[in-house]
Order: sequence, then C-alpha cells, then structure tokens
Amino acid sequence: MGTLAFLAPPIISCIILAGMLSYFGNHILTRGIIFIDIAVAQIAALGTMIGILLGFAENSVNAQLVSYAFTIIILGIFSLMKVRKQVLPQEAIIGIFYCVALGMALLLAEKIQGGSNYITKTITGNVLWVTWKSVFNCLLVFVPVIIINLLMGKRIKEISHGALTGNSLRRTRMYDLVFYITFGIIIVKSVPVMGIFLVFMLLIGPASISRIFVSSWKGRIMWGWLIGSAGSILGIYISYSMNISNGPAIVSLIGIAAYFFAFARLFNNRAGKTSVSNNQISAK
Amino acid sequence: MMLSLNFILFPFLGCILIVLINVYFGIHVIKREIIFIDIALASIAALGSAVGMVLFNVGHEEVAHGDHAFWPYLFSLGFISIASLAFTLLRHKTISIPLEAIIGIAYAVATTLTVIILDKGAGGDVHVHDMLVGTILWISGPQLARLAIVVAITGIFHIVFRKKFMNLTESFHNHEPDIKRYKLWDFLFYFSFGLVVVEAVKIAGILTVFAFLILPASLSVLLTGNWTGKLIVGWLAGIAASFAGLLFSLKLDVPSAPVIISLLGLVLILGYILYKSINKNKPLKEQP
Repeated sequence: MGTLAFLAPPIISCIILAGMLSYFGNHILTRGIIFIDIAVAQIAALGTMIGILLGFAENSVNAQLVSYAFTIIILGIFSLMKVRKQVLPQEAIIGIFYCVALGMALLLAEKIQGGSNYITKTITGNVLWVTWKSVFNCLLVFVPVIIINLLMGKRIKEISHGALTGNSLRRTRMYDLVFYITFGIIIVKSVPVMGIFLVFMLLIGPASISRIFVSSWKGRIMWGWLIGSAGSILGIYISYSMNISNGPAIVSLIGIAAYFFAFARLFNNRAGKTSVSNNQISAK
Repeated sequence: MMLSLNFILFPFLGCILIVLINVYFGIHVIKREIIFIDIALASIAALGSAVGMVLFNVGHEEVAHGDHAFWPYLFSLGFISIASLAFTLLRHKTISIPLEAIIGIAYAVATTLTVIILDKGAGGDVHVHDMLVGTILWISGPQLARLAIVVAITGIFHIVFRKKFMNLTESFHNHEPDIKRYKLWDFLFYFSFGLVVVEAVKIAGILTVFAFLILPASLSVLLTGNWTGKLIVGWLAGIAASFAGLLFSLKLDVPSAPVIISLLGLVLILGYILYKSINKNKPLKEQP
C-alpha cells in the first residue's frame, strides 16, 4: 500500500501527460514536424541560459519569463515562415532551429559557470520525483491549453491537414501561432520533470501506433491516450521491479512496441489478410 | 598567419571532406523529409558500439579517443544495417505514419537504451559534450586518412549510381519508384549514409555533422532548383563557413563547432533574404 501511495503521483502525471501529448502527437504526425518538441525544449533551455546571463537566478520567475518570452518569439517566427508552397520542408526549418539553438547554447555555456550542465540537464528527468504539488501545478497550466484547443480545435485540425483557414495565409498563421504556443507551454512545463526523451516518446509513440490501426481522428487520440497510459504504467512497474531508471524503461517499452506493431501490420498485410481485430479497432 | 594556417590545415581538410559528402546527402534528406536520420543513425551506432563494448569488455578509454576498437565498430555497423533495413521496409503504403516518426522512435529508443547499458559512467556531462561537438581541431593524420577513404568509397559509389539514388529520392513520396529492386537501393542509401555518419561523428561530433548536413543544403534548396547547382552552392557555403569558423575560433579562442554553426546560420539567413527578394520581384514564378 505504501508503494502505491508513492507511485500514485508519477502514474497520474503520466496519464494526464499521455492524454495531452496524444492530442498534440496526432497533429504533429499529420503535419510531419516530428522533432519540434526536441527543438522547442532546446530553445527553452537556451532562453533560460540567456536569462541567467542577464543576471537572474536559475530558478527565479524572471529567468522563467525570459525563457518563455524567447520560446514564444521563436515559435512566432516559425509560424510566420509558413508559406503557401513550402520549398523548404517545415521539418528542415525545425532542424535548423534546433541546430543553431544548441550551437548557441554551447557558446553561452562557456560564459556560465558549470554551463554544460544546462545542456545535459534536459536529457534526463525522473518521473518518480513527481509530487502531488507538481501534478497540480501542471494541471493549472494544462486546463487553459485544453480549453483553447477545444475552442479552436476544428480550425487547427483543418490546418494540420494542409488547408488554409478561409484561404487566408494570415489567419492560418494566427491559428498556427496559438497551436504552437500552447504546445510549447506543455513541452516547456513537462520536459524538466519527465526528461526530453520521455516527452518525445509519449508524443510520437502512442500516436504512431494508433495511427497504424485507427483511421478516425478522435479514435486515434483516445487510443493514443490509452496506449501511452498503459505503456507508462507498465514501464514504471518494470523499472520499479527491475531497478532501472523509469524514463528510459517507458521510452524503450513504447518505442519497441511501436516497431512491433508496425512490422505486425506490414507482415499481416503481406500475408494478404486483414485480421479481424484490426477491423474491429478501425470500426471504433 | 602562416602558423595558424598550418595549425588548421588538418581540421580544415576534415571539414571539407565532411562538407563534400554531407551536402550531397543533405539535399537527399531534405527532399525525403527525413531530416533527423543523421542524429538517429549516430545514436544507433553508439548503441551498437556500447553493446559491443559490454559484450567484449572493451575499455571505455579505447573507444572514447577516436580509435575504432574492432568489436564495437563491427557492432555499430551491424546495428546500422538493421536500422537501415527497418527504415526501408517500413516505408510502405499500409504504414500510415511519416518515416521521420519511425526514425524519431528509433532515435529515442537507441539513446535511452545506451543510457541504460552504460548507466551513470563518471564524467557523463563531459562525455555528452564531446559527443555533441567532437574535437575536430585535434584531428590526427590517420583519422583524416580514414575519413578520406570512407568518404571516397561512398562518394564514388554514389557518383556511379547517382541516377538511381536521385530517381529514388525524387519519387520518395509516391509509393512505387520506377526502379527495379528499389528496396535494395533504398537500403544501400541508408547504409552508406550510416557509414559516413559513424566516421564523421567520431571526429566532428553529432551537432557539427548535423549542421553540415542541413544548413548548407537548405540554403541551396532555397537558391536553386537543379542538383548540380544545389551541390555547388552548398559546397561553397559549407567550405567558406568552416574556413572562416576555424580561423575565428583560433584567433578568439572559442570552440570551433558553435562558431561554424553560427556562420552557417548567418549565411542561411542572408540566403533566405535573397530568396525572398528574388521571389517578390517574380511572384508568379513556380519553384521547381
């Protein structure tokens, strides 16, 4: 019973996050901008370093604000770079942002004491350190994000599928900006707690698995949520019983499952039969 | 001046080799929209090398200093071929997710598995730092020769079969390229790229290699439409930026990788402005 009380906050936070990230993951996969979350996390880390160089303490509100402001500016530039006919794929633009942000961070790291810590800090995280207080804090941020995305969801979904809102590039860019900023807030809030790879995997992994088998938009989000939650709980259980770090355990579990299902679908298809269970899932 | 030129000769030659091959691969990779395949392959190779180290008890020191211990190298090649095979097979019309997502999942799994296997080695921060930016300023003669051989072999292979690879990439987003046994060629594309990545990352680090792959090629995609033009623009930008970057970093005593990346970024921004101004004058011109 003591174990359960200890594991409850991490499990609850994983389930909440799996839901949010399943929604965003679906959009991200449809848009083909897979690595945006790693780029955003890197940009936010660079923002924090700029804040520190401006003289604010690492965990102070001011440093956080500088980081958020910097991230929002970059995301604004990114949504402005959407054009009618994309010569350079958006994923390439993300790659460039990531690369330059990391390069800048390395340069700034020379000027800050123990600077290289800030670069590696985002890589690991520990779900087990999650407390009820941070679960509550996350909810406080997530609820407005959910409301905004519920209100604008239809338009954002159309844009993800490649349409221009009212055939106006400017309005499309505005909706994009809202989408990227809400997404950015989720990433900036969750990466320090969960680690960049866990967030990345919860974003891409469950959404990919559900996309292979499910065709409806809502079905994909629900199944993604379910798969993400199940993967997290199983991963936490495995890490707890085998005494390995939980983040890597969940990431490996969901990632290997994604490959397993993809190949299962591939060979199933090769054999020329669509299994009954697949049809059942798609029907839902 | 003479002295510093002498000092940066080897690093500069190393940069030129990486630029020559990576701009070419970069154009392919941008067209295929699998931008992060380079980082993914590097992590998969690192996982392979970690498995080899653990299985055959090779010391950390031997691998860390840019030499290739036999078994770890063999294992990284093995892991790269498995990954290449998976990427080839999973680009299939029944798998309705972008290949970049499959690559991303491989990247995350490979990195975290490496962390589990090598668990909390001392000085992890320094190790990660070195893996990111490498130590190209200290490249040795034998390392340079090795890089030259790998780049030459891959380069000649791709020059000889350039039509096949170009055709494959141009038709990448349609499902059936009109080449016989295109899966085999697709596999060879990923595997040969993996060979180059392993070699280049060992010397220049993941981030620098990624920068040479994406930044000059993006510039060339903006400025010109045909393959030869793209290659020339990318090569010029990459070589100029690495020469200036190496000189600056020596004079100002700052790390070379971030300076080169910043210069490449600057050239790209100038190129983007140029592209915008050209396109404003001819708004109706279709980009090829």
